[in-house]
Amino acid sequence: MNPIALIARKESGELLMSGRGLAWLLALSVIMSVLSLLLVSNTELSLLDNAQVVYMVMGTVTALGALLAVVLGSDTVAGERERGSLMPLMLAPVTPSQIVFGKMGGQVAGWAVMYLLSLPYVWAVGSSGQNLAQAVVYLALFGTPVVLGFGFLGIGLSARLRSVRSALLTSLITLMLLASPLLLGPSLRQSTIGKFFDAVNPFSAAVNTFDSVVIDSQPLAMQFTRLAVTLVWLALTTAFAIRSVRKMEI
Amino acid sequence: MKTTFVRLLLSLSLLGVGNAWAADSLNISLVPDQANSPSPQMGDWLKFHSVVSNPGTQASHGIVAWISLVQVDPGHEQPVDLEDWSAHKAVTQAVLQPGQQVKVEWPMRLIQAGAYRVVISAVDRETGHVMTSPFVDFQVRRKPVVESGRILPVAFGIPALLLGVVGWRRYRGRAG
Repeated sequence: MNPIALIARKESGELLMSGRGLAWLLALSVIMSVLSLLLVSNTELSLLDNAQVVYMVMGTVTALGALLAVVLGSDTVAGERERGSLMPLMLAPVTPSQIVFGKMGGQVAGWAVMYLLSLPYVWAVGSSGQNLAQAVVYLALFGTPVVLGFGFLGIGLSARLRSVRSALLTSLITLMLLASPLLLGPSLRQSTIGKFFDAVNPFSAAVNTFDSVVIDSQPLAMQFTRLAVTLVWLALTTAFAIRSVRKMEI
Repeated sequence: MKTTFVRLLLSLSLLGVGNAWAADSLNISLVPDQANSPSPQMGDWLKFHSVVSNPGTQASHGIVAWISLVQVDPGHEQPVDLEDWSAHKAVTQAVLQPGQQVKVEWPMRLIQAGAYRVVISAVDRETGHVMTSPFVDFQVRRKPVVESGRILPVAFGIPALLLGVVGWRRYRGRAG
């Protein structure tokens, strides 16, 4: 089997088959369940709030996916180093590029599982059916580059910082910073700094697209700039991860 | 003599008030559509019909008629922004000749539960005040925006499924 596929299979197996990986998925599903139950108990929602609810769930899924990607990414190289399995991996007949692409394959599998896990929740809250299909498509289209970008950032930091704790902390700080639009109200984001931050932040690009498509029913043609921001983010983090793994020393 | 003088003054003053607050130059009626649900809920459509007529002897110009909605639930009395409720919020008529009338339909999608009062208002260029139709009251029943019948199975089912997989993995690990 191709070494990249072998490494990707091992990485995804750790998420899907190990007790630790399943416990993470369980924790993420509990968070989404609690959010859904909170929405059911809210009696003040108007008819239009259904789209708002779908938007909220999409943002949460993206944030949780990014969190999972960061945790998995931070463990990829530094975790191998701490467990003493990096040396055998480096001595195996695989190139650093194959290692990093294999690790990235694990990230893709992690996000795929997270995405599939989120679909029942998106369907459950989208009872009015308003833009529900768009929600499913745009979560894949914009969530994928954003989430994978965080995972690849984690891989790069994991290779450079040599410790899971340092890589995880740095990745989480970055995630908190970029995911802050989820916490900030729209008024705070209307300032000059807020607008600039929104324009270059991939997380904002995804969240603003969810708002635009699901709540305001705007077409794909209006989302190209935001899509470009998320793709640039994915390209930069991919290059960072590849470069960091190629340069790493045992 | 004194009484007659007072009556004369009173009559003159009433005449003065009548001049300051001229009679309506337009008649506006408002009735709900017969097909409207007697007990509508959020998401339903209601339709109202109004007729703006000119009963006078002079033409009215520059007529604008618009629909207004007010929530009248005790403690929640407030005007409603119709942006989400209706795309048909006003009509204009350049001129309305004596005896002429304009029929207007006002469709409306019910967005939020509560008790509401709808009214049609109109102005023209000649009359110095707003003319209004009679009120029509209606009650909107709540409809769950998120359906517990969809959410509860997912919210409890997915974690239970994952918990089952974790348990099965542990059981198989111990058995193996």
